[in-house]
Amino acid sequence: MNGEVLKVVEFKIRRYDPDEKKHYMSTYKVPIRKGTTVLDALNYIKENLDGTLTFRHSCRMGICGSCAVNINGKPMLACYTQVLDLNADSLTVEPLSNMPLIKDLVVDIQPFFQNFRKIKTTLIKPAEAFRRENEFPQSPEELKKFWDLTLCTKCAVCYSACPAAIDEKFLGPSALTANYRFIADSRDEGLEERLKPMTDNVWLCTSCNSCTLFCPKLVNCSDSVIEDRSLIVEMGAIPRTVKDVLESVMKYHNPMGTHQNKRMEWAKDLNVKTFPNVTKADVLYFVCCSTAYDIRNREIAKTMALVFGKLGVDYATLGEEEWCCGDHILRMGEKGLFEMLAEHNIEMFRKFNADKIVTLSPHCYNTFKNDKPYKDLGLNVQHYTEFLAEALENGKIKLSKPLNRRVAYHDPCFLGKRNRIYDAPRQILQSINGLELVEMKRTRESSFCCGGGAGRVWTEEAEQEKRPCVNRVKEALELGVDAIAVACPFCVTTLEDAMKVLDVENKIAVKDILELLKETL
Amino acid sequence: MEKYSHDIVIVGAGLAGLRAAVAAVEVNDKLDIAVISKLHPLRSHSVCAQGGTAAVMRDKDSFELHAWDTVKGADYLADQDVVEFFVQRAPREIVKMDHYGCPWSRTPDGKIDQRPFGGHSYPRACFAADMTGFHEMHALYGKATSYDKVKFYDEWFATSLLVENNTIVGLTAIDLKTGEMHAFQAKAVIIATGGHERIYEFTTFSHTTTGDGMAMAYRVGVPLEDMEFVQFHPTGLVPSGVLITEGARGEGGYLLNANGERFMKRYAPEKMELAPRDVVSRAEQTEILEGRAFTGPYGPYIALDLRHLGEEKINERLPLIRDVAIKLGGVDPVKEVIPIRPAAHYSMGGIKANIRTETPISGLYAAGECSCLSLHGANRLGTNSTAECLVFGAVAGEEAAKYVASKSFKEMPHEKIAAEEKRVFDEVLGSEGGESVPALRDEMRRLMNAKAWIYRKGDDLESALKEVRELKKRFKNIKVEDKGKAFNTGFTAALQLDFMLDLAEVTVVSALARTESRGAHSRLDYPKRDDEKWLVHTLAYYTTDGPKLEYQPVTITKWQPAARKY
Repeated sequence: MNGEVLKVVEFKIRRYDPDEKKHYMSTYKVPIRKGTTVLDALNYIKENLDGTLTFRHSCRMGICGSCAVNINGKPMLACYTQVLDLNADSLTVEPLSNMPLIKDLVVDIQPFFQNFRKIKTTLIKPAEAFRRENEFPQSPEELKKFWDLTLCTKCAVCYSACPAAIDEKFLGPSALTANYRFIADSRDEGLEERLKPMTDNVWLCTSCNSCTLFCPKLVNCSDSVIEDRSLIVEMGAIPRTVKDVLESVMKYHNPMGTHQNKRMEWAKDLNVKTFPNVTKADVLYFVCCSTAYDIRNREIAKTMALVFGKLGVDYATLGEEEWCCGDHILRMGEKGLFEMLAEHNIEMFRKFNADKIVTLSPHCYNTFKNDKPYKDLGLNVQHYTEFLAEALENGKIKLSKPLNRRVAYHDPCFLGKRNRIYDAPRQILQSINGLELVEMKRTRESSFCCGGGAGRVWTEEAEQEKRPCVNRVKEALELGVDAIAVACPFCVTTLEDAMKVLDVENKIAVKDILELLKETL
Repeated sequence: MEKYSHDIVIVGAGLAGLRAAVAAVEVNDKLDIAVISKLHPLRSHSVCAQGGTAAVMRDKDSFELHAWDTVKGADYLADQDVVEFFVQRAPREIVKMDHYGCPWSRTPDGKIDQRPFGGHSYPRACFAADMTGFHEMHALYGKATSYDKVKFYDEWFATSLLVENNTIVGLTAIDLKTGEMHAFQAKAVIIATGGHERIYEFTTFSHTTTGDGMAMAYRVGVPLEDMEFVQFHPTGLVPSGVLITEGARGEGGYLLNANGERFMKRYAPEKMELAPRDVVSRAEQTEILEGRAFTGPYGPYIALDLRHLGEEKINERLPLIRDVAIKLGGVDPVKEVIPIRPAAHYSMGGIKANIRTETPISGLYAAGECSCLSLHGANRLGTNSTAECLVFGAVAGEEAAKYVASKSFKEMPHEKIAAEEKRVFDEVLGSEGGESVPALRDEMRRLMNAKAWIYRKGDDLESALKEVRELKKRFKNIKVEDKGKAFNTGFTAALQLDFMLDLAEVTVVSALARTESRGAHSRLDYPKRDDEKWLVHTLAYYTTDGPKLEYQPVTITKWQPAARKY
């Protein structure tokens, strides 16, 4: 390829020599022109600098799915990525995750493809229908219902990014989406048969959205899994653990299995204004079931109240009329129950008439912003980290005491990946005197889920090593930090569980940002 | 070395190979079938097929018309019995794909939709947006993997066919994961490894489609037929060569020269942009040679203009093209023209096989682009290739299944296997010369582009032949830098180049001998079609001194050669 060399980019490539069983890094400098893709660069290295560099590639037009690799921690197709678009002078290229290494950037894709053998990847209909050699009618509208899901190239990007796929029992985003693609196909009549291979593992998905975020073909795997679950819920083939959560929400309007009249116990020593005693305030403080009921998490709820007080904010909560926001419930596939919860909360929002809603949990935040029917209200909702970052920026809070801690920040998926709030939590942490903020290896968009989303926080049954939280804590331990900072009550629960499992509670702690903040006030 | 045995071994897992596997198991579900591919099946080049698959589906169309379009498109070199059989079997394949789950684009009343394509006088291209091959592949793979009796050997590189007494007995292949060579014993082998256009520099082909099966068959004595007929696709994206489907013109796209002129009116006033590919590519090349092309950092180019189609139609009918143009060409076809020029795209020639896909070796079959039946003659019509893969992939599977029913496994030729091990590991991987494989490969590609391109001349071809032979000599002196066993892609690149050099030689020798212009083969020194002398198929046989050519008459059933105008 000709054209002017616009820059020289350094490629740091993770290598593996299977004959010597040796892991190492190689660094190369590659001249980049307009149009040079990462694959072109890899080919340039192989053909000019190092003939031993090994990677897969074929179509070089983003359709065969051969060349997926991790580039600066994000899985993508090398051939479909322009080097100039990455805006970097140095790139780290690594093999995909969750699959065994063969050599350099080549991983064994069989575990990924094995999952497709567990589902039916062809139309199911009575044999008679196939004997008639006629085309099956399908309207353009019917086609549209599943067309986007047919674009999956099976490149395994999603599988590499998936936190649930560390458990090989999980079919993975791509196979679960393929299954739903057939369910949604008007020509198919195999619904019941298709649901069976999913019932014991579909619950492992945490709805972290990594699959959808990184898919080169923009296939919405994350939502497809919810559709799969929704059908399984309808059929009633759900495990006991899932059933318990749904029944609790049905009965008590929270997943904690406790009566609503205990919801405000966290605030019993505080003077927190509560609906219906108060029907108007500047800020509606939406506490979240996990922070309201879980004794460990109540400190977080209290601290927020304390901070509101210090700031002189006119705030109130819905008290016993705050029902579960339904984020987990929707993502567990119980759409009807979610709608019931949403209807109630929306009615309260209308009665309460707040200017702004501040949530403690990214999950409440996400569902209010992005899920119908909440979404249609156009609510003015902030996650507490956004609210506090603003207050800090405006000089409204003073953090007096220094805090000498080395802390890694773990991006909650529903704050980061789903809502692109990466900076506000970091701004708060950086404004704490003495606190050393360390980035995790997998951070921001590449962050690795704690494993708590979509109800898994209450249904976790995987072996210890196959729990995302255990993997995440191990990653933090490598950094030598004394705490993992989070901004989500579910991350607190899962990561703390992992610390117990690993028996490292004396080495490392998990702290909500509010808990760290409290120590400095 | 381990020995594997299967009733039928299929080499290549693109459309033809997968279709063969499904057809064979449907004929006899007791058969033990293996599919060997150097790539995972879904990485096969068939997924790059975009525009559609031709079939007569509606009353207003007819087999007669599809056959006539194909024969005329072929510049009368197609075997007409094959064409007539093909058009009749194509509709069944469309329905099969539908039954497997292919998401065909639909008409408002729920029927499979069809779009116009070059050289077809009826809109008969069934399509799944502009990812037809991709969707057919995923449908077929989904079906093929639903049979327990079809065993897949993904990422196994076949190196040679084993033939005894003019009968196939098996083949050798390297398991890329371990780097070990193993022998496969088989009663029948189906070659479905695709074309060889990676012998050219500017090509629509995947990096991995290197014509291995053609070369393997050639080396065991099967003639390669009509290899001089290479199709140049009019719209290869500049600079990568990535295919921009003819469907873009089928949907109404224009070709413009630097003066903004729809120049096709001077070359094919009636069919314009939808003339057959040989006609359009020659027109573009003439515009380039006569200085009416655009000039850019990556050489001269022609503009493919889709802007007047509007964003909605482009998104619905040509979504991949838009994405590819943005990601790889840096232009959004909704707002800008797409820079294109002709690119090597398809081999009308290939392993000589008859209407039942049988090669001259008993038990050895060939289907899809690697074969030459001859369905496409001197020029293939767009959308006839995916149709061919399906129709004749199925035929190959059915014929092989019937053949093996009465056959038993033959003794494996141990000396030949040992000789192949020596060739592959000692002479290729073990070679300690100074020549670089990528450098030799690039020299081959450049010279094929320069001297065996759209317009050809005797002296160019002679010099190309000399150069290819020089490269073959230099190949004996290569050095593969990577000496590792597992997944050694430097090693497979060397094996592929070895195959491609044979195929480049056959292409040039066949082109040099054919002193006429017909279909995609245009000789500036012999500009006229010569039916007196050249209404024949070229057969190139392997000898140690290079290909030996023989000729065979064309089968004509209904349509006598006539002038070809569009």
